[in-house]
This record gives sequence, C-alpha cells and structure tokens, in this order.
Amino acid sequence: MQNAVRRLSRWINREGVFKLALVAPLQVTMWLILIVPTLLVIYLSFVRWEPVLGDWTRAPFAGLANYAHVMVDARVWETLGRTLIIVFFAVSLEFLLGLALALFSLNTFPGKRLFTSIILYPMMLPWVVVGFTFYLLFLDKGPVNYILIQLLGSGGAQPWFKEPPLAIGTIILADVWQWTPFMFLILYSGLGALPKEPVEAAMTLGAARWQIFRLVTLPMLRPVIVIALVIRALECFKIFDLVFIMTGGGPGTSTESLSLFIYRTGFVYGQLSYAAALAVLLLIAISLVTRIAIRPLEYREEAR
Amino acid sequence: MTDAPPIIRLRHLRKEFDGTIAVADLTLDVAEGEFICFLGPSGCGKTTTLRMIAGLERPTAGEIWLRERRIDPLPPQQRGVGFVFQNYALFWHMSAYDNLAFGLRVRGVSPAEVDARVREVAESLELTPVLRQRASRLDLSAMQRVALGRTLVVQPQVLLLDEPLNNFRPGLREVMRGELKRMQLSLGRTMVYVTHDQEEAMTMGDRVLVMHEGRVEQVATPREIYRRPATLFVAGFIGRPAMNFIETQYQVEDGRAFLRHDALRWEIETRREAVERQAPSGRVIVGIRPEDIRPAVLAVPEGRRGETLPVQVDLVQPLARRKIVDVKVLDLVLKMVVPGTFRVDAGQTLDVVMDRGALHLFDPQTLRAIG
Amino acid sequence: MTRMVTESTPSPVTVAPPVPARLYVAGALRLAVAAGIALIFFLPVLWMLSISFKPPAEWLEYPPTLWPKEPLAGNYTFLFNPGNPEGAIAVMTGAAEPVVPAFANSLVVAPLATLLSVTIGFLAAYAVSRFHVGGTFMPFFTLTTRMFPPVAFAVPLLLYYSAVIPRLIPGLRLYDTRLGLILMYVAFTVAFALWMTKGFIDAVPRHIEEAAILDGASRWRVLFTVTVPLVRGGLAATTLFIFILTWTEFLFALIFTQRFAITVPVQVSHYAGAIGRFYGPQAALGILASIPVVVTGYLIQRHLVTGFTFGLVRE
Repeated sequence: MQNAVRRLSRWINREGVFKLALVAPLQVTMWLILIVPTLLVIYLSFVRWEPVLGDWTRAPFAGLANYAHVMVDARVWETLGRTLIIVFFAVSLEFLLGLALALFSLNTFPGKRLFTSIILYPMMLPWVVVGFTFYLLFLDKGPVNYILIQLLGSGGAQPWFKEPPLAIGTIILADVWQWTPFMFLILYSGLGALPKEPVEAAMTLGAARWQIFRLVTLPMLRPVIVIALVIRALECFKIFDLVFIMTGGGPGTSTESLSLFIYRTGFVYGQLSYAAALAVLLLIAISLVTRIAIRPLEYREEAR
Repeated sequence: MTDAPPIIRLRHLRKEFDGTIAVADLTLDVAEGEFICFLGPSGCGKTTTLRMIAGLERPTAGEIWLRERRIDPLPPQQRGVGFVFQNYALFWHMSAYDNLAFGLRVRGVSPAEVDARVREVAESLELTPVLRQRASRLDLSAMQRVALGRTLVVQPQVLLLDEPLNNFRPGLREVMRGELKRMQLSLGRTMVYVTHDQEEAMTMGDRVLVMHEGRVEQVATPREIYRRPATLFVAGFIGRPAMNFIETQYQVEDGRAFLRHDALRWEIETRREAVERQAPSGRVIVGIRPEDIRPAVLAVPEGRRGETLPVQVDLVQPLARRKIVDVKVLDLVLKMVVPGTFRVDAGQTLDVVMDRGALHLFDPQTLRAIG
Repeated sequence: MTRMVTESTPSPVTVAPPVPARLYVAGALRLAVAAGIALIFFLPVLWMLSISFKPPAEWLEYPPTLWPKEPLAGNYTFLFNPGNPEGAIAVMTGAAEPVVPAFANSLVVAPLATLLSVTIGFLAAYAVSRFHVGGTFMPFFTLTTRMFPPVAFAVPLLLYYSAVIPRLIPGLRLYDTRLGLILMYVAFTVAFALWMTKGFIDAVPRHIEEAAILDGASRWRVLFTVTVPLVRGGLAATTLFIFILTWTEFLFALIFTQRFAITVPVQVSHYAGAIGRFYGPQAALGILASIPVVVTGYLIQRHLVTGFTFGLVRE
C-alpha cells in the first residue's frame, strides 16, 4: 500500500514536472519581459513623470490627467487618423494585388519557381533598407520622377517628400511593395488548400469561370482572407521603420505614424507619462478591435 | 434493345497519368434512358471514365459523343451533363435552396422561374422542409438529395453519379438505392452510375460494365454477368462468397474428355471442342459458385446433375437465411452455401454434388472464358 | 497554424481544356506578364545596387541611368574603412562609421536570439499541443506581443532596463548590451515560434510517441529522439523565419542601443540620416544588410509556400 502510493505520486510528479519544465521558460520570459513592463506602463500612465524630474518611484500621482491630455490632444487624433488612412490604403492595395498574383500563379508557367522567389524577397528585406530604397527612388531627381517626366512631360515630376499627401503616398507604396508578397503567400496557400470538388460541381452546373470565382471560391476563402487582413492590418498599424527612414515624420509632422509619435513623445521629448497613457489606450483599443474583427470568424467556425 | 441511336458514345477512350494508364481503350454505347453501372475495385478507372464524360478530366485519346455532338473538346459547362459527387461537393456556405438554384441562377434565369423549378424538385426529393438550412448543417441523406436535386434542376441530358451512396450506412443504403432507381425510372433520364459495390450494380443496373485496371472486362446485363462471366476477374468479382476456382488439366481417356484435378475429374462433352481450340496448353481453370455446390440430398430435387463427392466440413458460418460452409476435399478448400435450415457441423463428412451445368471454364493464360 | 500540404496543383478554377495552339500563346503571354511583374518587384533593389557601385559624381546625376558609367567598389570598401576612401569619395563627416561592429553585433544577437526563441517556443508548443497546457487562453495571450505596437512596450521597458533591473540585480547591465537585446527579441518572437512549431507538432500523430513511451522511454527522451526528428523541417522553417525577424528588427534596437550594441538596421539609419548624404555607401550598406536575410528567405521559400492557411480551410 505504502509502495503503491509512493509509486503513484512519483508518476504524477514526472508528468507534472515535465509539463512544467516545458512551459517554464516561456512563462518566465513572458512575465519578466512582458507582464512586468505592462504593469509599469500602467503605473507610469497614472503618475506625472519625466526623466528630468528624477526618481520615478516617487513621481506624484496624477490620476487620469494623462489620459485626459491624450484624449483632447488634436495631434493624437490626427496621427491616429493618418495612420488609419495609411493602413486602409496599404492593406487594400496589398490585398487586391496579392489576390491577383495568387490567381495568376495558380497555373504553372516556365520559371515559376524563380518568379516566386523574386516576388517573395521584398518581405525579407529589413524595413530600413526598404525605406531607404524608396527614398532614393522618389528623390526629386530620382528615377521615378524621371520616368514620370518621360511619360507625362515636365509637369509629371512631383515633389514627393515636400507635400504631405505625396509623402504619405510614397510610404504607402513602399509598404505595398514590401508586403504584397505576404498577402500573395497567404492567399495562394489558401486557394491551393480549398476543396476542388465544389468548383468542379459548379463547372458541371454551367457556371463560367468568373462566376465560380465570385460565388464559390471567394466565399470559401473568406476565413483565410479575414485572417490575412487582420494580421496585415495590425502589423501595418505599427508602422515605424519606413516612416522614420523615408520622411522622418515630415514634412513637419504631417506623415508621423502613431508609433513614431509615441516614440517621439516618449523618447525624444521625454514625456514618458503621456506616452504611457497613450500606449495603454492603444493596447485597449487594439484588443477590442481585434476581438470584434475575429468574432464573425469564430462564430462561423462553430456553425460548421 | 431499342433502335434509337445511343445517347452517349465513347470511342477508344484512353487516359494516362504520368505514364500510368488509368483507362485503356474504352468503347461503349449507352442507350437513352438506360441505367448503366460502372463496377470495379478502386483504382480500376471507373471514376476516371466518368469524369472524362463530365469534362473534369481530359482524355489522352479517344472521343466522347453526346447525341450528335462531340463533347470531349468542350469544357464541363457546355456539355449538359449532371454530376453527383461522392462527397456531394455542396456549396457548404449556401443554403439548400441556393444550392439547388445555383445552376439556373448562373444562367440568368428569372428569379420567379428559378423559384418554381427549385420548389418542384425540392418537393419531389422531400427537401422542402430544409430548404432554408445551411448546406453544412444538413444530415447525410438530405445532403445526398440536394446533390442530386442540384443537377436535376438544370435538366441535364445525362446524369453521372460517382459512388453517391458510399457514405450511407448499410440499412439506409438499400433504401436510397430503391429511391434512386425509382426516380430514374419515373424521370426516364439516362444515368451512369459508378460503384465498387457489386450488389448495388447488380440490383440497380440495366447493364453493368465491369472494369479492372483500366480495362473493360465485360459489359452485359446483370443476369448475363452472373451466369456467363466473360473473364476470370468478373467471375471472381461478382457473387458473394466468391466463386471457387480449381486448376485442372484437360485429358482424353477412352475417347471421353475430362478435366482433371488430382483425383477429381469432370467429364465435358459439349464444351470439349471449345476447350481444345481455346486452351491449347491443356490447362483449364474450372470455376464453380458456392451456390452451385449442393448437398447431395438437396441436389436431386433441385435438378442438379453431377457426381456425388464426399467432402470434409471444415467451418460453418451461419448467416440469416443461409450458411456458408468451408469444405475440404483433397488439397482444395471450397466454399459452399446451404440453406439456413440445413443441419451441418464442422468435422462431419458430407456428400455434395457439383452441378455440372454450372461449371465455368477459363483459360489461365488469356483469363477469358472458354465456350 | 501551418499545414503540411504538398506543392499545390493548379485549381480547376482556371482549367478549361483549350486547343493546343491556344495553349501555347497563353503560356507565352503568361510568361511575359510574369517577367514584367518580377521586374517591377526587382527594380527598386536594382536601383540600390546601381547606386552602390556609382562614384559620388553620379549619385544625383540627372537623367538617372541604371548602369554606372564608372563602376567602382569604393562605396563598399568605404564602409569597412572610412578613414581610407578609395576612388573619388569626397566629403566625410563625423557620421561615417565603420560598419563591422554593427555586423558583429547583429551576427551575435540575431542567431542567439533565434535559437533561444525557437527552443523556448518549441518546448512550450509541445506542452500546448500534447497536454493542452494553458488551455485556449495562454497561447493566444502570447500573441499579444505581436498585436500591440512595440513602442507601447518600449516605454516601460526602457525604464525597466535602465532603472529597475540594475536595482534588482546589481551589476547586470541590459541597456545598450547584446544580452539586453537578445532577451528582448526572444520575448517578442517567441509567440511566432510557438505557433509555427505547434502546427508542425500537431501534424505528428500521437501514437508514435505513445508507442515509444510504452516501450519505456522517458518523456524527455521521446521528445528529443522521436518528435524532434519528425518536425525537423518545421523547426528549420521556424528558425529561419525568426532569424529574419530578429535580423531586421529596428525599433527596439534603436531605442535600446547607443554605442556598443548597435545592430545593422540601426547602422543603416545612421547612414541614412547622415548630413553628408552618402548615398553610395548607404546603398552599399543596404545591400550588405539584406544579403543574409535574402539568402535565408530563399532557403525557407519552399516551406513558406507549402502551408500558411492557419488551419482555417476545411477539406
């Protein structure tokens, strides 16, 4: 009896220990690097503190003052709106182009593997390099303007980095160039994994190719599309490197993305509490939005 | 049967995949209104042939004719054939109604007429109560009927069905078989039905086409296939339990012709000439169905003729109405079927009669039937 | 998350049996379009390459030409030895720095962070996949590290690194160190590592492991001798993917390094912001910075294309 109990506890122990050991590193990492800083952010957002003011553990309590400042700051809303515009246009373009590419790639053609390699590599370049490349391309005397002048005459050249809308355009273009391959990848894999029989059935029922695509293929692809859009939109929302390198937020602050704005506020101007409040608000907002965006997906999954 | 021209004509159809021959030289005429079954084990090419008729596969060689039109160069959309898939291939995200309506809608038919036709078909298939339900939520039998109804709505000239009852459990399967057959008869539409279940093919088909490894073994009515299998494969494939095969040697003794296996021999008269002609090597495979080996006491009343043979009963498997009995004689293990009421036990000796009139002869080299 | 699907065959969506002659034309057209698209994607980098081989006189030349009139390698050598310009490189300001330290840092930080991240992620993925540790909440929770803007974490992390940690563990410096960067990268990529490897682990049938356990092997042994070899490909793909992430990471590197632990992307930004407008060396640096990841990307390309559907498509 004694023996059996001992053996039993040893057995439980082993599996338990095993499981613990497996996730321990992850938990430690998450807690140390993630959870504690998150708590710190929340703390910071409720006090008034800047590095120049000295010891942060004794910073005066500020209640919701920081949050109030954030909410009424016009610049915050402008930046938010601007970032959302960038996300909207960039992701839409990436989706459409990626879909077109995926459809195009469905049939084989000579050199397809090379083709795929080439269009995939922009995703892997460091963002800063992409930013710099596009900066070079859109210089006043750069190749893009040169081509435009050839095509449209001398009025074709644009002062790309001097006009806010144009500057935003270049950023969007750079992002599209870099991330269309990502959309392509997901959509291509998704298309390839779709069951083929409903498509065949549609053919035998007399549907033309585009009808099949619209009525059968796309609806079946919807979960993949949603995920792709959500992931890319989230990533694009965080855009920092491109803006930093290409325009530095300029001219003035007209192309500042949200991440860049927080960076400036916190690390360049030193208003860490303000930045903290903004960060917390962002965290909450993103969580909510993601929740809502994913919900139709979850619901549909259950319905299956 | 009729003098009307065949509705489907397949001419020397051939399909190769990466060097493997899936279908080799298939030629067939299908009469209008006929229910023909493609029967064979998996991989024999029956589904591939069906898909070629539908346009889902392109033949490597050969022609396919529907009525007066040659359809093999045409895409599936333009052929006017309906296809029911093994796994139904419904549009899962649409309702049953939308599935049924699909074929008409893509042709631009007016919503009013679409509605009328859909409801008509739904009614006949008893789908009206579930019309608004999402396709993925229907039960198996309803899915099957939607898959069928979807094609019926567009009134194709021919219906192609790829093992549609595969997913049904045995009890429901028989019921659905009856339903399908009844429907085919009342609609009068030509059906090409693929299955690997011989019982299904034999009970439903007007004709059965048996395929094996891409080749056509035999095309005939079920009765003909059962009674006069043209090849060794067909003989062994049709009928359950399978036919018994015995290797024999042709011998002439005292002017009489025999097929001899060890100490057993069967005398043949009428087929002697055929054997001499078609089996020059002298080796002949004799096939006899388990239901044609009868206990001696039953053989005479049934009118069976043949010599009585004592055998050793090895195993008795009782079923509902009959018993399958494994018997041993010499080096052979044969299966026979006796009525369920017949008393027999393992280990006993039994006198049986092999019905001489029910012997099937095959040439071991060509695998074809002799005579 | 990833599914092992073989190279996908053409979907019937675009298949309609055409006559052979038309097929030929369609094929050639397709090739032409493909070439055009590939060119558009390649052009920007082509331009960078071009500038990286041009002498200063041609950097802002107008009309711009693709091919340098006097190609030289001086831009590249300049990167490594700014004190000794080759060719006709003129103005130097204090912003010119040798790039070797940055490369050295990146070559230490990225691989180590990757290794650590994949290991931790893989172990946790195994626990989640086989034992459902953490239920449904924990794995998704890890994804929050990718959902939120890194900047949001950077704010407190800076404090954490420079103020909190030194107080807790005296003598441990994390700011502007490789170690600090590595830890950070691990924390923020481990979610990816977990999800990617989990997909591959899910694909391995349990009964193989259970058989080994019944044979008496300890769980640890089963993990390393049975499971790992079976998911080798997935581990490789994940490793390379995370490597790309860590090599190209910019924001944290910018904030958390100053002099000693600068990585390659930060170095690029130094050059890019330089007053001297060293387009040539900047371009050269950009090219050099990209090579490791392009090579890496090429190696995992097959894995990327073969399965990325997040388990959402039902067959």
